[in-house]
Amino acid sequence: MNKFAFVDCTTVDQALAELKDGAVIKAGGIDLLDLMKDGIVTPPKLVNIRNVSSLRGITASKDGLHLGPLATLSELAAHPEIQRDYSALADAAGHAATPQIRNMATLGGNLTQRPRCWYFRSSDFDCKKKGAGSDECHAHEGENQYHAVMNNSTCAMVHPSSTAVPLLAMNAQVEITSKRGKRSVPISEFYVPPEKSLINETVLQTGEIITGIFVPAPESGTRSAYQKYGEKESFDWPLADAGIVLVMEGERCRKAAVVMGVAAPTPIRSQAAEAVLTGATINEATARAAAKAAMQGATPLSQNGFKVQLFQTAIYRTILLAAGQMQRDPSAIG
Amino acid sequence: MAPEIVLAAQEQQQSTQPKSVKKGVEGEAKPTREAEKKDEQTPTAAKSTATRTETFVFGIPQNGLTKKERQVPLDEPPPLAQNSELKYIGKPTPRYDGMAKATGRGKYTADIQLPGMLYARMVDATIPHGRITSVDTSAAEALPGVKAIHVIEHTFGIAALRDPKQEAPSKYPVIRYAGQPIAAVAATSPQIASDAAALIKVTYDRMPFVVDKQDARAPDAPTVFPGPADAEGSAGGGGGPKNVPQVGNVHGPERKKVGDVDKGFSEADAVVEGEYFTQVQTHSALETHGFVVDWKPEEVTVYASTQGTASVRDEFAEVFKLPKSQVRVITEFMGGGFGAKFGAGNEGVVAAHLSRKAKLPVKLMLDRKQEHIVCNRPDSHQKLKIGAKKDGTLTAISLTSYGTAGVGTGAGTAGPATNLYKCPNLLTEEYDVFINAGPGAAFRAPGHPQGCFAFEQAIDELAVKLDMDPMDLRDKIDESPTRRVERKIIRERTNWKTRKAAGVDTGPVKRGMGIAQSVWYRFINMDSSCEVRVSRDGSVEIMSSVQDLGTGTKTLLAIVVAEEFGISPADVVIRIGDTRYPIGPNSGGSVTAGSITPAVRNASYQARQKLFAAAAPKLSTTADNLEMRGGKVVFKNDESKSYSLKQIAAKMPTSEISARVTRGPEYAKERITYGGVDYVELAVDTETGRVHIEKVFGAHDCGRPINPLGVISQINGGILQGISYALFEDRVMDRKQGYMLNANLENYKIIGAREVPEIEIELVENYIAQSSTDAAGIGESAGIITLAAAIGNAFYNATGVRMRKIPMTPANVLAALGRVSQEETA
Amino acid sequence: MSDTPKIEVSRRGFLKGAGLTAATTVIESASALARDAKEAMQPDRSVGPDAVPVKLHVNGQEHTVTIEPRYTLAETLRDHLGLTGTKVVCDRGSCSACTVWLDGTPALACMTLGIDAVGRKITTIEGLTQGAEMHPVQVAFVKHDAMQCGFCTPGMVMTCAALLERNHDPKLADVKHAVSGNLCRCGTYPKVFAATLDVAQQHQRAAYLLTLNPAKEA
Repeated sequence: MNKFAFVDCTTVDQALAELKDGAVIKAGGIDLLDLMKDGIVTPPKLVNIRNVSSLRGITASKDGLHLGPLATLSELAAHPEIQRDYSALADAAGHAATPQIRNMATLGGNLTQRPRCWYFRSSDFDCKKKGAGSDECHAHEGENQYHAVMNNSTCAMVHPSSTAVPLLAMNAQVEITSKRGKRSVPISEFYVPPEKSLINETVLQTGEIITGIFVPAPESGTRSAYQKYGEKESFDWPLADAGIVLVMEGERCRKAAVVMGVAAPTPIRSQAAEAVLTGATINEATARAAAKAAMQGATPLSQNGFKVQLFQTAIYRTILLAAGQMQRDPSAIG
Repeated sequence: MAPEIVLAAQEQQQSTQPKSVKKGVEGEAKPTREAEKKDEQTPTAAKSTATRTETFVFGIPQNGLTKKERQVPLDEPPPLAQNSELKYIGKPTPRYDGMAKATGRGKYTADIQLPGMLYARMVDATIPHGRITSVDTSAAEALPGVKAIHVIEHTFGIAALRDPKQEAPSKYPVIRYAGQPIAAVAATSPQIASDAAALIKVTYDRMPFVVDKQDARAPDAPTVFPGPADAEGSAGGGGGPKNVPQVGNVHGPERKKVGDVDKGFSEADAVVEGEYFTQVQTHSALETHGFVVDWKPEEVTVYASTQGTASVRDEFAEVFKLPKSQVRVITEFMGGGFGAKFGAGNEGVVAAHLSRKAKLPVKLMLDRKQEHIVCNRPDSHQKLKIGAKKDGTLTAISLTSYGTAGVGTGAGTAGPATNLYKCPNLLTEEYDVFINAGPGAAFRAPGHPQGCFAFEQAIDELAVKLDMDPMDLRDKIDESPTRRVERKIIRERTNWKTRKAAGVDTGPVKRGMGIAQSVWYRFINMDSSCEVRVSRDGSVEIMSSVQDLGTGTKTLLAIVVAEEFGISPADVVIRIGDTRYPIGPNSGGSVTAGSITPAVRNASYQARQKLFAAAAPKLSTTADNLEMRGGKVVFKNDESKSYSLKQIAAKMPTSEISARVTRGPEYAKERITYGGVDYVELAVDTETGRVHIEKVFGAHDCGRPINPLGVISQINGGILQGISYALFEDRVMDRKQGYMLNANLENYKIIGAREVPEIEIELVENYIAQSSTDAAGIGESAGIITLAAAIGNAFYNATGVRMRKIPMTPANVLAALGRVSQEETA
Repeated sequence: MSDTPKIEVSRRGFLKGAGLTAATTVIESASALARDAKEAMQPDRSVGPDAVPVKLHVNGQEHTVTIEPRYTLAETLRDHLGLTGTKVVCDRGSCSACTVWLDGTPALACMTLGIDAVGRKITTIEGLTQGAEMHPVQVAFVKHDAMQCGFCTPGMVMTCAALLERNHDPKLADVKHAVSGNLCRCGTYPKVFAATLDVAQQHQRAAYLLTLNPAKEA
C-alpha cells in the first residue's frame, strides 16, 4: 500500500472536516484496503469513521428500519426483526463474502464498494473507469464470463453490493451528510450508471458521507427473499441473484418487486417481471414466467450467455422462496 | 502392457519413471550423478553384499496373505510382520508436529526472522513478450532503507533455445511472460521494499505474443521462441521431451507406439472416440514460494519453503559455484508444495544475490499473484479413441494430446492410457504448445489427472456402448489385484448396486454415480540416508535432510524408529529438513515414504544392535541373547531378565551410539504400480449448472501404510483437490493483453468448506516385499488423478450428457446441457 | 498488441502522499486522537504517514509498537511482535488464514490496519494457549489430524474456537458455514469438521489432554 496519513474521528463533524485534499473515508476498511493493496486507489489520508458511535446501530420502529451505516453485515444478518420483517436484507447481509468479512464490513461500505470487475481490480490494466486515457472496456472483447448481461454497452461491470438488492426492492432511502447539510436519496437514484459517470458508481460527492439508511416498514402481507448463485457456495461472487419482495393478499400477489444485482452495472428492477406477478397467484408457472420476462432484452456478451439461464433460475426460485413455496436453495451461495 | 514402465528395481534405480511420466513433468526420483555411478558399481544387493534369505509376508490381506522369500543384506533387520501384529506401524498416530501447527508455534520460512534481516520484493515484467531496453534502479537506490538491488541476468524455469544464436544477444533476459521476474530489491521493511520495487523503471521493446493455446497452434501465430526450444526439468521433474520436432510454438510429438492401432481398431467390435479439454491449474500452496538467505563468507544458510532441501542445496552450489559443504538448507515447517517447490528458483537465487550484496540476511517470499504465475499444471486438449471386443477386451488405444506448459514443456497426458489396462495396440502422440505464460511444473501426479479425465471417461463410454457395468468392464481389462479388491470394496459398501440408467431422473436436479481408477508408480530415490542416535540416557534421535511438506514425514519416521526401539513415537526426536544431516530424498512423485523409511528402519536396527553389543558384557550376556519384546529389552534365554531401553542405554561405554544408513536397492526387480478407485455420488442442478458432490468413497493402496491417520488425511486432500480441479479451478488469461486475470484466491477458485462431500476411505494393505518397510507414498494416487473422471462419469449417469471439459462450472455445464441458446452466446 | 516494438515505461505508479506530520505521543486508545471535538477540529491532527508509536492490547498484554498507518495488523503482529502464528496467505481477505479475534470476534488481520486495532482486545493463535495448556480445539485438531501443511491451521482454529464460544452445540452445517471463508489447499476440511464437532460433543477438556502424549517439540 502507498503511505498515507490516518485520522481517527468520533463524530460526523470531525470526519467531514477531515474530508479534503483527497482524503477518503474508511469504515470497515475491507474494500478500501483491497483497492489500496493493488494500487487501484492511493489516497494520501484515511479518515477513520469506524469509531463514530452515532453511525452505528439498528433500530426497527413502526415507520421502518433505521440503519446506521456502520452496522456490520453480521449485525444485520443476526437482527431478529430484520430476519422477521426484512428477510431479504438478512439473507443478503448474511450470505455476503465470508463470516470474517461480515464481522468487519459495514453496510455503508457494502453499498459503496467499487466494482469487482477483474479488469478494474487488476493493476495490469487501465480502463476508462479508472480515469485512464484508455477508452476501452476490456470485458467487451475480453474475458467476460462474469460480466453484465444487461445495460452493458458502456461498461460491463456488475453491481457489487448484495445488500443494495433488497434495499432497492424495499424502497430504502440513503441519508447523505456533508458540511452543507443532509439530503435523502432513494436508493433507486443512489446508483449511477456508467453512461452518466464512468468514475462514480453512486451519487456521493466528495465531502459527503452516508449517515443513515432507512427502510420503510413493510405493508402487511409482505414477504421477501434474496438468493444468489455462483460457482461455489463457500465465499464466491454471484453470477446471478434476485431480491424479491411480494405483498400478498391470500394467494394473490398485490405488489411485487423483482430486483437483480449482478445483471448490470447498477441494481435494476424488472418491471416486466413485476407486471407478471402483480395480480397473479404465485406458483411455479407464474414465477417462471416472471423470470423469463425479467430476462427479456438481455444482451449477453461472448462468454456469459449462461447467466441468462442462471438469472431465470435465481429469480423463479427466489420468488417461490419468498412466497414460502420452496426451501432455501442448496445451490445458493452462503 | 505398459511396456515403458521402468521398475524401481536394482539396475534401474537411476531412472525410476515411466517414460510417459518422465517426459511429463514429474515428481523427483532423479538421483545425483554420484548415486548413479554407485549404482553402476553395485547394481544389486545380491551381487554386492552378503545376504541371507528371509521370508516376507506378501500380498493383499483381502486375498489372503502369502509368503515371499527374498535375499536380504545381512545388516538389515528381520522382515516386519503384517500391520495388525505391530505395535506402532499401521496404527493411527497423531502428527508429530501437530501441537506446533495447532498452536501457531511452528516456524515456516515465511516466519523466519533473523537479526538485521532485510525484506525483499521482486519486480516483474509488465508485458507478456519483449525485450528489456533499460532498467533504471536509481530512484529505488535513493530510497532510505534500501540496502541492495539485483537485476536478474538469467531467468530459471524457461525453456532454452537449442541454438541460442537464433536470438540476438541482450544484456537482459528476453521477457516471455507477464510476471517474469526482472529484478529485486532488499530493504529494511517489506513496505520499503515494495515502495522501492515500484520505483524501478523498466522499459521494453514489445514483441507480439500469444496466450491462447489454440491461437498459438496457428501457423501464423506469434512465436514464443524464435526456434526450437527445450526445457530443463528441475529436481521435481518438469521438462518435456528434448530434440523433438518443433514447428512454430508446437513442440513434438513425443510418440509411443506398440503394435498396430489400425489393425487393433479393425478388430474392434466397438469404438469410442472423443475430445477432452482440461484447464490450467495453479498450485496455490498456502505458503508462497520463498527463501531466507543468510550469506556469510564461511557458509550460506538458506531457509527454504521447499520439497527438496537437497535440491535447493545442489542448485545454490551450482549457480554460485560454491562447494555443497558450504550451503546449508533448512526447512523445518513447510506450507505446501504439490510439486512446485524444488531447487533454488529465481526467487532463491535473487535472495542470495541480495544477501551477498547487503551482507545481511534477506527474506524473499513471493506474493499471491506471483505464486499463481510462477508455475502450474499444464492444460490439455486430447483426442482419444479406444477399440474393444464385445467382451471388453481392448484392441487399440490412440491418443493425441496438445497441452501448454506456458514457456516450458511437459504437458503430456499419456500415463493413464499407457499404464492402466492391458492393450496390444497403442499409439500416443503428445505435443507441447508454447504460449506467453508462466511455466508448467510438476503438480501432484503430473499428466495423470488430465489423462485420466479423458481415458477413464472413455472407458465408461465404452462400457455404455458394450452394455456392460463399468465395474465389470474393468474387472475384465484391469490386471491390478489391488484395484480388483478396491472395486469389490466399493461394490459392497456404496450404493453402486442401485445405480440407475443414465439420465433417467426427472426434475431439474439429477443424481448419478460413477467411478474412476488411478495408476501411479513405485519410484525410489537412492539419496535416502539417515542417522539414528541413541544417547546414554536412552533418548533416541533420527536425523536426515528429508523434509515434511505437511505429508507427515516426521510422524512416519517417528513411528518406524519407535517400532524398532519399543518406545512411543512421541519419545523419538525427529531432526529433519536440514542439509547438515545425512541426505534425504527430495519429495516428489510419492517417493518419500518408500525411499526413506527403509533407511530409517535399518539404521534404527543397526543402532539397536550396536547398543546391545555395547551393553551385553555389562549384563553378563551376549548381544545375540538380547531382543526387543513388548517395549522391553529381554534375555532370549531368560524372560525374567527384562530392561527398559533407558536401563540398557545406561550401560553404554560411550555417550552415544549411532548408525548411519543409506537405503539399499529394492529386493527384487518387479514392476510395481499403485492404484486407487474412487466412487462419486453427485447431484447436477440442470438449471444452475452447479454440480454438487455428495459422497466420495475412495479405496486406495500405498503398500504398507505406516500411519493410517496421515495417509487418510492425504487421500482426503487428493480427493478434495480433485473436486476443486474438476469443478472450480481455472487460470484465466486475457487473450488481448496477455495477463492472468485471476491471480488471487478470490477469482482463482479453490474448494471451500461448503463444497466438501461426505468422504469415506478404505486403505488396502499391499505387502510387496521390496524393502524393510514396504512403505510407499500416497501423494499422487490419492484422488487427484481420478476425481475429475469419476465426476464426469457420475455426471453422465445423472444427466445422460458427457462432460468433456473441465472445470464443470455453471458456464460449461449449462452449455453442455444445451441451456445456453445461440442468441445468448452472441 | 502491435508488431512494431514500442518503448514504454513500467506501469508501476509512483508513491503518493508524503510529508504529513507524525505524532510524537503513543496512541493508546481509538479516541486518543480525537479526545474532544475541539481538538479534533484542529488541523494536522492526523498521524503518519511515517511511523508512530501505538499501544496494542494483544493476548492480554500491552505492547508498544512503532508502525506506519499503512501497516496491516497482520504485518504488525508478525514483523513487529514476532507473533508469526497468524499467517498471511491471500493478503486480500479471501482465505481467512490471518483470522484473529478483535474484541472476541473473528476478523481478518490482513484487512485491518494495525493502527485501527488500537483500543481493541486482540487475540491471536498464540493467545489461545493458556500457558502450557492448549485450547480444546487445538487438542482436537491434533487428535483428528485436522492439518497437513498447517498453514491454514491457525486461522481454522481461531474460527472454530470462536464458533464454539457462541454456539456450544453446532451441527455439521454450522461448522461448514463458520469455516466457509477459510481456505485449505491440503484438504483438511473433513477433519476440521470432525475435530470441532468432537469438542462440542465432549466437554471433558481434561480427559482430552490425558489422551495425548505431547510431542517433544515445545
